[in-house]
Amino acid sequence: MRVLAVDEARGLALCAGEDGAHLSVEIALVEPVAPGDALLVHAGTALTRLDAAAPA
Amino acid sequence: MRFVDEFRDPGLGRVVAGEILGAVEPGRHYKVMEVCGGHTHSIYKYGVDDLLPANVELVHGPGCPVCVIPMGRVDDGIALAHEPGVIFTCFGDMMRVPGSEGSLLEAKAAGADVRMVYSPLDALRIARANPDRPVVFFAIGFETTAPSTALTIMRARAEGLQNFSVMCNHVTIVPPLRALLESPDLRLDGFIGPGHVATVVGARPFRFIPADYGRPVVIAGFEPLDILQSIHMILRQLADGRCEVENQYKRVVPDEGNAKALEVLAEVFELRPHFEWRGLGFISHSGLKISEAYADLDAERRFSVPGVRVADPKACQCGEVLKGVIKPWECKVFGTACTPERPIGTCMVSSEGACAAYYNFGRFAREREVV
Repeated sequence: MRVLAVDEARGLALCAGEDGAHLSVEIALVEPVAPGDALLVHAGTALTRLDAAAPA
Repeated sequence: MRFVDEFRDPGLGRVVAGEILGAVEPGRHYKVMEVCGGHTHSIYKYGVDDLLPANVELVHGPGCPVCVIPMGRVDDGIALAHEPGVIFTCFGDMMRVPGSEGSLLEAKAAGADVRMVYSPLDALRIARANPDRPVVFFAIGFETTAPSTALTIMRARAEGLQNFSVMCNHVTIVPPLRALLESPDLRLDGFIGPGHVATVVGARPFRFIPADYGRPVVIAGFEPLDILQSIHMILRQLADGRCEVENQYKRVVPDEGNAKALEVLAEVFELRPHFEWRGLGFISHSGLKISEAYADLDAERRFSVPGVRVADPKACQCGEVLKGVIKPWECKVFGTACTPERPIGTCMVSSEGACAAYYNFGRFAREREVV
């Protein structure tokens, strides 16, 4: 999912999915995140930040 | 979309399929288990199976969170949902899993307040909005989902929410894999490792498979090219006489996993001595329960949970499907008495279940043509 906005005080990020749906995501496990970051989200929690530079 | 489209390229898929063909030894039959239900779903959705040579057989593993929940736990959940005033929350798939006397969806129809949520955080939101009613979250899933539950429990504690609790059914992936490897029923040549579990736990927990059992493991992503490349990597290891854990899904999975996630899991959960798995029976140290430090948020301590044990229905062969011993279509009730609309077994309920994947994507071919 792509980060649209970050609410640091609540530890949440507003994210958009592949289909455009928006979801509030827990970011405690991947902080800090910034708008534009791509996250792997599972059950409402971001587990990792996708690194564009990493090999496939 | 970036990270997605490039892993669904049909031309590249054909190239990798050709490389797979070049890596197999004629006359040898290969059995490769995809551990995770997400892989099973992708394999049948994209027809990955059809690109493989006939002597490479994919065997579906036990990594579907909904599929492994035994009937007794469903019955316990339903009993909890019928407690006075309780709002019972769970993931959508879980609502349709049959217990011995119906599903949570049927309990809802009978008057219980059962609500579907997309994440445990939604359950917490319901608890905040209904301070005069107890809200229970029925937590399921492997190490991928457990951090989400753990963080929610920590949030509930931090906010001082008195009406929220969790019925924990989280499980861990290594003990059932060990049980499968010890099983005389099944001879496997390698494993497509669960990419999203590995995001949390890293590559290390899978090293026992090459070290103790001499089988290669490739941690894999979920797009069709990820899966094809992983199969090729497993076949290359076998051809080269190597045996190790490789990480195909490096763009997502760090070898060391997610340290923060492991910390919250260690803080909130502890291992149960035993946990029952649908079709696999009791497996030692395979389930998580809420630790003493968070005991007040444990629904099983807060309410009187019957703790029922119920044998699987005789007609259902989910156990054999989960162990990879039979293919879904070899089950007597597949596609007849057991369908996604009216499932008898869990593997037909979840989109990650092998039976549902076969049924929904029309993979009825009993034998594949030699490529």
